[in-house]
Amino acid sequence: MNPNFNTPPAMNLHPMKRVTIICESILEDRVLELLQETGAQGHTAFPVRGGGHQGERCADITETANVQIDVILKPAIAEALLQRLQTELFADYAMVAYESDVRVLRPDKF
Amino acid sequence: MPILELERIDSVTDKSSLMDLLTAIQSNLLSPAILFFVLGVFAAVSKSDLKFPEALYSTLTIYLLTAIGFKGGVAVHQAGIGAVWLPALAAMLLGALIPLWTYPVLRKAGKFSVADAGAIAAHYGSVSAVTFIAATNFLKSIHQPYESYASAFLAVMESPAIIVGVMLGKGALGGKLSLRDAGVRHALRDAVLGKGVLLLVGALIIGALSGPAGMTMVEGFFVTPFQGVLALFLLEMGMVAGRRLGDLKKAGLFLVLFGISAPLLHGTVGVLLGLWTGLSIGGCTLLGVLAASASYIAAPAAVRLSLPEANPTYSLTGALAITFPFNITIGVPLFFEIAKRLHA
Repeated sequence: MNPNFNTPPAMNLHPMKRVTIICESILEDRVLELLQETGAQGHTAFPVRGGGHQGERCADITETANVQIDVILKPAIAEALLQRLQTELFADYAMVAYESDVRVLRPDKF
Repeated sequence: MPILELERIDSVTDKSSLMDLLTAIQSNLLSPAILFFVLGVFAAVSKSDLKFPEALYSTLTIYLLTAIGFKGGVAVHQAGIGAVWLPALAAMLLGALIPLWTYPVLRKAGKFSVADAGAIAAHYGSVSAVTFIAATNFLKSIHQPYESYASAFLAVMESPAIIVGVMLGKGALGGKLSLRDAGVRHALRDAVLGKGVLLLVGALIIGALSGPAGMTMVEGFFVTPFQGVLALFLLEMGMVAGRRLGDLKKAGLFLVLFGISAPLLHGTVGVLLGLWTGLSIGGCTLLGVLAASASYIAAPAAVRLSLPEANPTYSLTGALAITFPFNITIGVPLFFEIAKRLHA
């Protein structure tokens, strides 16, 4: 009988930040530019719908659609990104951004 | 008494042209496209669960722009560029000039901020492809011939007003404008590479290069199903416009009046310009309709990115909930009657 049967393989997990940005879909390119400038290595974007202070975003035409962009970053970069979002975009656009803790296997990937 | 005779004849023609207008409006209202638009408004107002996926809306937009671009291109091929360039140039200039007089009106009479006035001016100078299509439909339904290459006017009228409007909204009149401003740069880039312009101009060139032989190859896809696609698109536009009706209160009475008087003035100027550049009654109607129409696809996206401080509720509600319904129901037959009278 395999002695390791019930023990999971040893995992070395590294703490990182996930920044989630939900905004008007016309802003997607602007946000991606910002990500690149702050040093993000990649991102995931998906169309979403919802509502908030600036009304319902019903997502049936591009102009009223929302996009969610998720990106995993080193904590310092995550903070820099949030700061730039706040100074450059928050005032003028329908937008929400927040960070959360995640753990990843390959820290050099982000 | 000859003078009285004359007056009587005048009043008779006045009456008959009013009847003409009413008949024209009636036949326009009973076309499937307009009826589907009304259905869409009803669906939105009654809070029906009917909803188009965004992908379908994008598909329909791409189809309509490609189809009219291509058809226009084939017509340019047949008519020759010599017949097209003068009215096209006039159309382009008109588009660029409209924001220059709407902006001060919006600022002074409407009390809008610099950015809002620039944004609204950009929307009203730019054009609505669907209003244009509705006008060609109307002309077809009453068997009125028109210059099919008029979609070239549509293509060249979309961007100039957006650039001028954005510059005004950035404070060009106060000397605050910089061409290095990210918003202005974006508007300039979008003017050439934005999806609407790219598709329209691209399909126009392809149509002009491939000519009638090319048309027979794509006719089954771009011409025959066109009316059905348009009906679906207008159903969706009806829903989008219907959802905006609630914003009318926020927009205020001035914007409602502006949304109706601007197309009346611009449409008449457009018809006159068509007359001077040698267009037929049908062509004058189309140029009038283009001048009267306000953009709600190209302009909102471009302006949102270039003039973020402008409130999109004003420009979009004006263009979509007031001017668009006005034009496709009353404006189109009205500009046709004006064109007919001025040609007589």
